[in-house]
Amino acid sequence: MTLFAVGVANAQQKVSVTGQIKDSQGAPLSGVTIREKGGTLSTSTNGSGTYSLSVSPNATLVISYVGYQNQEIALNGRNVVNVTMDGTSSVIDEVVVVGYGKQKKEKLLGSVSTIDAKQIENRPVTNVSTALSGAAAGVQVKQSTGRPGSDGATIRVRGIGTMNNAEALVVIDGIVGTMDAVNPNDIETISVLKDASSASIYGTRAANGVILITTKKGKANQKTQLAYSGILSKTKPMGTPEFVSDYVRHMELMNEGTFNLGKPAKYAESSIEQWRKANADPNGVLAPSGLPNNVAYPNTDWTDWIYNSSWLQSHNISATGGSESTNYMISGRILDNPGIMKNTGAKKYELRTNLSTKIGDRLTIGTNTFASTEDRKKANVDNLYNFLRQSTPGVYPMYDGKFGGAVAAEESVQLNNLMQYLYEPQGMDKVSNFNSTIFANVKIIKGLTFETKFNYLTRFREQTGSSIPVDKYNFATGAIVFPAGVAANLTLSQSYENLRTLTFDNVLRYETTIGKHNIGALLGHNEFQTKWYIFSASKRGVIDPTISNISTANEMNSIDGNEYETSMRSFFGRVNYDFDGKYLVEFNLRRDASSKFGKDKQVGYFPSVGLGWLLSKESFMKGLEPYVQNVKLRGSWGKLGNDRNNGDPNSENYFPALAFYGNVGYSYGGAQVSGLERSKFGNRLLAWEESENKEVGLEFSTFKSKAYVEVNYYNKLTSGILVPEQLPLTTGNTSAPIVNSAAMRNSGIELNLTWKDKIGEVSYNIGGNFAYNKSRVTKLKGQLLRGWNDLNGTNTYSTNIGQVSNAVGTNQRNLEGHLYKEFYVRERYRGDGSYYSSDGSVNPNGGPRDGMIRTEADYKWAEDMKTAGYSFSPVNTLGKEQLYYGDFLYADLNGDKIYGNENDLDFTGTSDIPKYIYGFNLGFSYKGFDLQMLWSGEGKLQYYWNDEGYSNNIVRDGNGISKRVADDHYFYDPANPSDSRTNITGSYARLKYNGETINNVANNYYLYDADFIKLRNLQIGYTFNNKLTERLHVRNLRVYFSGENLLMFTKFPGADPEIGAGAKYPTMKQYAFGLNFGF
Amino acid sequence: MLAIVLGTMGSCKKDLLDITSNTQVPEDKMWTTDNYTDLGVNGVYQALRFGYATGGTNNRELYQYDRLSNTLMPRGGDPLLNATANTSSGIFVDVWKELYESVHRANDAIYGISNISPSTPEKKARLLAEVKFLRAFYYYRLNQLYKGVPLYDAPINYNEATKPRNTEKEVWDFIIKDLSDCIGETNLPTKFPAGSKEFGRITKSAAYALRGKVYMYLQDWDKAIADFQAVKDAGHQLFPDYKTLFTAVNEKSDEMIFSIQNIALDNYGSTMQFYFGSRSAFGSNWDSYLVSPDFVDLYENKDGSKFNWDDIIPGYNDMAPAKREIYFIRDNVQQVAQANNKPAKYTDLVDPKRGLDFGLYLQNGNEARLKKAFENRDPRLSANVILPYSTFVGMNGTSDQTFTSRWPHIEQLNNVFDLRTDIESQYFYLPRKFVYEGGKPPIPSRVAGDIDYPVIRYADVLLLWAEALNEKGLTGPAIDKVNEVRARAKVGLLNSSAATTVSDKADLTSRIRNERRREFFGEGVIYFDELRWKSWKDQVFGGNAGNKQPWGAIVDKYTYLGDQLYTWPIPELERQRNTSLTQNTGW
Repeated sequence: MTLFAVGVANAQQKVSVTGQIKDSQGAPLSGVTIREKGGTLSTSTNGSGTYSLSVSPNATLVISYVGYQNQEIALNGRNVVNVTMDGTSSVIDEVVVVGYGKQKKEKLLGSVSTIDAKQIENRPVTNVSTALSGAAAGVQVKQSTGRPGSDGATIRVRGIGTMNNAEALVVIDGIVGTMDAVNPNDIETISVLKDASSASIYGTRAANGVILITTKKGKANQKTQLAYSGILSKTKPMGTPEFVSDYVRHMELMNEGTFNLGKPAKYAESSIEQWRKANADPNGVLAPSGLPNNVAYPNTDWTDWIYNSSWLQSHNISATGGSESTNYMISGRILDNPGIMKNTGAKKYELRTNLSTKIGDRLTIGTNTFASTEDRKKANVDNLYNFLRQSTPGVYPMYDGKFGGAVAAEESVQLNNLMQYLYEPQGMDKVSNFNSTIFANVKIIKGLTFETKFNYLTRFREQTGSSIPVDKYNFATGAIVFPAGVAANLTLSQSYENLRTLTFDNVLRYETTIGKHNIGALLGHNEFQTKWYIFSASKRGVIDPTISNISTANEMNSIDGNEYETSMRSFFGRVNYDFDGKYLVEFNLRRDASSKFGKDKQVGYFPSVGLGWLLSKESFMKGLEPYVQNVKLRGSWGKLGNDRNNGDPNSENYFPALAFYGNVGYSYGGAQVSGLERSKFGNRLLAWEESENKEVGLEFSTFKSKAYVEVNYYNKLTSGILVPEQLPLTTGNTSAPIVNSAAMRNSGIELNLTWKDKIGEVSYNIGGNFAYNKSRVTKLKGQLLRGWNDLNGTNTYSTNIGQVSNAVGTNQRNLEGHLYKEFYVRERYRGDGSYYSSDGSVNPNGGPRDGMIRTEADYKWAEDMKTAGYSFSPVNTLGKEQLYYGDFLYADLNGDKIYGNENDLDFTGTSDIPKYIYGFNLGFSYKGFDLQMLWSGEGKLQYYWNDEGYSNNIVRDGNGISKRVADDHYFYDPANPSDSRTNITGSYARLKYNGETINNVANNYYLYDADFIKLRNLQIGYTFNNKLTERLHVRNLRVYFSGENLLMFTKFPGADPEIGAGAKYPTMKQYAFGLNFGF
Repeated sequence: MLAIVLGTMGSCKKDLLDITSNTQVPEDKMWTTDNYTDLGVNGVYQALRFGYATGGTNNRELYQYDRLSNTLMPRGGDPLLNATANTSSGIFVDVWKELYESVHRANDAIYGISNISPSTPEKKARLLAEVKFLRAFYYYRLNQLYKGVPLYDAPINYNEATKPRNTEKEVWDFIIKDLSDCIGETNLPTKFPAGSKEFGRITKSAAYALRGKVYMYLQDWDKAIADFQAVKDAGHQLFPDYKTLFTAVNEKSDEMIFSIQNIALDNYGSTMQFYFGSRSAFGSNWDSYLVSPDFVDLYENKDGSKFNWDDIIPGYNDMAPAKREIYFIRDNVQQVAQANNKPAKYTDLVDPKRGLDFGLYLQNGNEARLKKAFENRDPRLSANVILPYSTFVGMNGTSDQTFTSRWPHIEQLNNVFDLRTDIESQYFYLPRKFVYEGGKPPIPSRVAGDIDYPVIRYADVLLLWAEALNEKGLTGPAIDKVNEVRARAKVGLLNSSAATTVSDKADLTSRIRNERRREFFGEGVIYFDELRWKSWKDQVFGGNAGNKQPWGAIVDKYTYLGDQLYTWPIPELERQRNTSLTQNTGW
């Protein structure tokens, strides 16, 4: 694409012309080519859109830019020429980055979504992956934790295509990498390859889609430009769980839990009274310690203490430029994200150098090199979230540098203080990446080029671990209730983990045009090798908790290691041909050989074909030209592969075909010995997982190319999915062999719409994408057979569910003909409330309407049902400690007169994977002002949410009680109907102390719709005009506000449906202020 | 040109795709050397450690089965005790799977040793005998619980676990055959001398003992007696002291016939410290298993007469259990609670809703009165159980600290240390057996105890021997065997007084059973006995059944599901995956 300045200019006849090129929204355009018509010199604009070129005084400038219509402007004696490019040019003129090349959107046969750098720029996102949400049709982006350093999102292209790792392949400048190892500011474009014809060039690793990231490069003859972009962002947690923080209420609810089971009260009235008195005068002093009541007798709201909003900072500086032969882009970024919880932050430093230089006419060599290092803080977030619910309001977090412990006499001295998990862990956690490619391009003859690349990528993680344990105080007495661990028992640990990948990539390209025949061909070879290892050690018995080098501890605790290695060798080729740009065809073929399979099964072939027809170039379409433009019909077929099985990376899974013996230890007479046992069955016939893709697409522009529409239908069948065989228990603990057995089909429709226009001085654009995906397991272990059979004269119910279906996730199962990970639960009983039939006999369908024993009539009915020979499961005895008022009843789906046993579990037709995802964006600009918005959402998904402490009726020693449950649970005591706690309409079951078996078995009460829509980004900016910037000697200056996750709409009652049902480190809501300027 | 480039690249990277694991042993190497042969056999032994868990009890270690008897009590509910067990309950699934894993390891070893191993014939013969014993032991456990399980006697591939069930008798016969092979193997030692470095490996005496146990199931008393005699002839005898038998120094004594090996190393040691120990013991433990008051009451007085609460506190037996709590309360409870800023500890006790009669409370003599109940008892009681107001040397930092079990637990003040449990709001008898004392016992963690786990010891053989003799009507010789065990325990011998006089065969049966309950506390023996005797329902669910505090007040009630519990169900899942498996009656 880049035009090199060639030829020798005749200096004395020239004048210098300068100017700035902007798009229709007033934003400067960089990389616009400016050429003198008929001349040989050209240049391109820098990051602020300015250029300077020597031309003859009466020259005409030709200004061209990808995706825009060329403009020709006569100088007419001026030496400043500012140009606004016509932004209404159609999408169809874009050039799209595809696998091993670029293609004009017009001629593209595959399904490729492109994401412009603009959609990522100036957002305070910490990771590129999260910025992609809502940006492209069929691309689902889900962040599962907001913890700095681990906050990358998973990206699913067109649903989940396999039961294994379904992550899309990420390719950065032609090399497979990871999304967190690229600076968002360095990105020029992102292409998502979704169908077989676009992705099959990546063969076996492309079945789940490919994301191509291209970084910015310098341009030839470009003056060095320095650009700075800074963001300062206020971060807040997106959603946090809520617990009862009033300890009096907490104690009363606990006592309600013991009362309901007929057990002695957990808390004595005297303890509750103590808090009531203290609460009446929070600043008074009642405690012997002399501390104020609100400290000595606390009512702690833990979520107030563990979260704190902070300021995130990102500073990026880059230098871009080029001479005739050499161009470069150098950038660096510092990202400081303190996180929204103490001691959880991460600080990241990133550097990039993209450099290329021409040697002679034929050879270009260069490098793309990236290095980063990230320091993560060590707070034990996993423990914190594990213990978040296991905390009571009766502990004061921290006072005067001391940590609080149990106060009430009834509490265990063990009570958790969450601040421990944030403050105690110490040490280092550093993740570094080094990724360097050197490349060479040779022009062999006209149209024939050879490109070779060698890449070395290493990613390593260094960790040390120690802790400074704290004493826990009873702030009422001032005494230590739970002493810190002693130095002799403390451990020091250190580990080093390294992933190293070598890639060697060679491509030969040929392009030619013979008359109306355009022919392109590509032949390639790739090999890579990946090796991972870890080494870790720990010792016990420290000198002092603050002395943390592992050498100082005195007792050996453990030394451990692990490793895996994998490699692949591939050959691939592509031929594309079109006739007159009207009839297009493309073939791809890739041959991959992987070290993972048995000797005879290492090789797989992955072909694809794409066909396209530009209807609008046909004469018979001319009549429609005023209404629709650029009509293209395309279709593709192809096969893609996958060699990753579940649990990758994991050493065992790197040899899925082989059987192994694993180490187990024993001892005789006091002496330790090693032992071996068969740890895994093998399967030497194991082969590739194959995904057959079919797709048809229609693209057209309308309203004079202001609107662009793209519709795709795809159908993807993944077969031979690598899954562990489902084994009988009798085979023991030996891991199941991996077999090519399952199949899944994903089919769906994607719709892309864009609209760009101008009303007066306001230009605006609207874009939307929508994807519906239907996912089915088409083959697993056979059909589900269940029902009643005559067995030796007795009518017996049988099912083969355990044989044909496997349990996955939370109360989810896979079964042929069903959704992937479909929920499988009991149904709440639904009666009509009539209780008895006309003949006075108990009516099995006449029970409580919503399946909870709420009234005395309900209870009586349950008793009569039992008398009549029906039974309830899992508990069939009626009574206070058993099945009682405020307990759930379940439907008897199989008709065995047992309500709610295993045989009453059934599929719900729902899963936690959305059936549709969508996104839309809006942009306006007026003079220097601009506004952008990006929304994204997911629809038709459910979560099973029955987490103790958050969404069920168990109250447990040392645990908190969720506000939601506290506010809306059943209570009734038949002995005292006027009890003030009575709430017979409560939604949650009656509170039960320290566990229960009835209401928390898998049932549909806990299935919640989790559809959501989020305002991902809102940006309002102002670009200062030239007069000001010139006075300040800066090239451009823009200030803006950028907000992330500002709004969310959902019916899901948990904290944040994006991260899932459970409590996890929340994602961040951000209010960012940014500044861009360049010299 | 491309071809040249690729050719060069190809040649320098010829082995690119040849990668093998560096962390595991591929199947085709196994059994091919003498070393692999040893390692494979060790793997069969290691299956003895199934159930071992470091993060919390999973109820599957052999000693943890005692929670299902009326000696230990689980801290929370248990599906087998609260009538919620069903054919999909985890315990049935996991135990089945683990025992079959153990069987397959043995089958694999038998195949590997016989067909692949290059070891010497003598060594192979001995190892085969050891592995056959282990296979017999694993099938023994399967047949004890599930009765009549499918027999696999050779390695299977993953798709070959399709056999139907054999009968209970066929399984016993299979076990007897393996054990008889073992007994007939000349290369297998009969017994290791006390202290031997080979302790833990299988001997002929272990095979005799186990075969004798199998004959007990078959009620073939003569054959059982003959096998027990063979164990005695091998030189096994009781260790002189009951209490110190269960320590690492004495674990290689002549009493031990077959023990699972433990050493003081994580993943190689015992877990009793963790699940039996209290918070005050080294490691800060969980009290996962508590001691049943019925079991405590079962310990006789030192002279062999029955213990009776009424002898200590007149009227005790007739009181409502909850009211008896008054006798367990510490001296000066009000003053102590006040002095330690925990007035609620006292006010809760006098709360009228609690219904305690403080007229019965002795301000300064309550503890002394209660302690009398435990003073003159079978010494095994205080060896096995932490009794009220008895002391326990636990941990304070890394130093020794003497704690006293008191109710209610108040606080550590003025160097008076109350034993701290994980359940301070309730009071229990706690296990003492197998719990390490002191602040720095010779173990690295609470899940790495070094005391070997006694699976079969000579006292077990003696009492089974007595049982077999009694069944044959040989009361006198049977009493002699029981008295060997009682003499070692230092409790009044049978027929030494009026109270210990055996009246008839049935009386002796009952005395032998109680002797076994008292003797094998925490050793994973008694639950299986109760099932074999068909006495489980009466023992565990009779009367006021539940998880009880020392005064008999129930914390969690037990509910009897039905007689089907005497035979564990074939896991539902397994019947779906192997449709030829039939279910046990009642499930």
